Amino acid sequence: MSCITAENLYKSYGNVKALDGISLNVNYGKVFGFLGPNGAGKTTAIKIFTTLIQPTSGKVSILGHDLLKQPNMIKQRIGVVQQKPSFESNLTVEGSLNLYGKLWNISNGERNKRVQDLLKMFAIEDIRNVKNEELSIGQRRRVQVAREFMHDMDLLFLDEPTVGLDPSARRTLLDYIKERVKEGLTVFFTTHIMEEAEYLCDEIAIINKGKIIAMDTPSGLKQKFGGVKIVEIKLKEPFNGIENVLNSLGISGNVELQDSTSIKISAHNAEQILISVIESLNKNNAQVASISVNPPSLEEIFLAMVDGANESSS
Amino acid sequence: MNPVLRLVNRNLTATIDKPFLIWQIIFPLVYIFVAGYAYTAVISSVSLGEVNIDYPAFIASGMIGFNVMNSSLIAGTMIWTDRRNGMFEQILVGPFTRSQYIASNILTITMIAFISAGMIFAVSVPTVFVNAPISLPTLPYVILSIILGSIFFGSLAIIASIRLRSSERFQITINTMFLFFAFVSTTFYPAEGAPEALATAFYVNPLTYLVDIMRFGLFGTFSSFIVWEAVILATASGVMFLVATYMLAKLNA
Repeated sequence: MSCITAENLYKSYGNVKALDGISLNVNYGKVFGFLGPNGAGKTTAIKIFTTLIQPTSGKVSILGHDLLKQPNMIKQRIGVVQQKPSFESNLTVEGSLNLYGKLWNISNGERNKRVQDLLKMFAIEDIRNVKNEELSIGQRRRVQVAREFMHDMDLLFLDEPTVGLDPSARRTLLDYIKERVKEGLTVFFTTHIMEEAEYLCDEIAIINKGKIIAMDTPSGLKQKFGGVKIVEIKLKEPFNGIENVLNSLGISGNVELQDSTSIKISAHNAEQILISVIESLNKNNAQVASISVNPPSLEEIFLAMVDGANESSS
Repeated sequence: MNPVLRLVNRNLTATIDKPFLIWQIIFPLVYIFVAGYAYTAVISSVSLGEVNIDYPAFIASGMIGFNVMNSSLIAGTMIWTDRRNGMFEQILVGPFTRSQYIASNILTITMIAFISAGMIFAVSVPTVFVNAPISLPTLPYVILSIILGSIFFGSLAIIASIRLRSSERFQITINTMFLFFAFVSTTFYPAEGAPEALATAFYVNPLTYLVDIMRFGLFGTFSSFIVWEAVILATASGVMFLVATYMLAKLNA
């Protein structure tokens, strides 16, 4: 049985389709990444899965419970870090963690232990006595994320949790989530940052204009949609005839020139193109400093897919 | 602990502005001891059925009702603050229903109203109530009036906080409504002797019913109309609570 199952999920606001028939399965103990540009429908999906709003149509099961029939059973077992900041402005950092533990009915001893652990884990010990309203955006975000781990849960929804965090805090959070996933937690994670998705997620769905346009493991996505490879050639010295050389080869791919010392080519037959480019450069006495051939990053796949979907729909 | 009580604990710990709460308790004392005694020269005593009471005792009993209404403003402020700070959604994705959330708000302001009423009563007993005929058997009606008043005005404040997105509009609307409720009522003066149109307007005002039931509870001044006032206030409170709950249920988080 899946942890999250959505079948033919639609959500409309008037004439606007926020979700246009999405279906997905998230297995227990996995991190599921939900990627998409702004307004793609990520937050709408999370709001439906966390029972805040109801779908226009479609069927959703969370942790074995029907979303519409048993929302309270679901809410007892999930954690949610919303994209929007949420904080108790009058309370200190420590006070808000403590109060959140009380809201979740955590016993006194356990609550105090968790507060101390989380203050340390998320490096917010030095601001423990500062009121939330006096914190910076990044600090407030760290407290918001830390607070959610005050209670036990089987499934955690993270809606762009690293927005506003510095790289160190971001890595701390991602590593902490990885640890919790090893203990059995399932995570539904939305982000704009592809490195995070690649680092954390077992499976990824790319959503655009309310539709899922691809869904696979990160490596599966690269294999399926990553036939294009990227060739980068750097020259020792500027070579003014570089543009003519490349034009004469009639390359079938995307060519980018950065000043006259760097060439970046994205193409399916990258190896063949590389050989012919090197030969031409040698003939013209242009000395090569370095060569690299790389598969595309998840970000490049994401951009290509979203752009492709936008072009085909327009 | 029960989910509603956990939310009440949160409201009292995190949401309520402490200086506002202190002012809520001090404010009526100023009215009772300044206006109460100052107006004694104009209104020496007020007749409630067969009983005459001093004006300071009359206004003190009215101020308990007035403070129930004023405390209910907090219910709207709590929701407004929670929505602004993202805690409304955070609570609703937690182990709480919308009904529990609204019930916790009403219970919070009811508790504040009781504390406030208790303090006014405690201060009034050795002072302005010294010569007043306090009626012990009817005191439960004081409790009834506080509960019904909290539900009615709390629900009203919640409805206003849902409808009005800006803090300024919420404050202006609530203050305007409460100004009407306070001065077009029997809180500060009796309906008898007022111009007929104004006296009639007193009785389209739920605060009048709340204050009349409160005075009956305190002084035992029974009239058959009190029963009707209790029925009307109970019905109006029930309707307002249902409307507030419905609107909160429909509110997009």
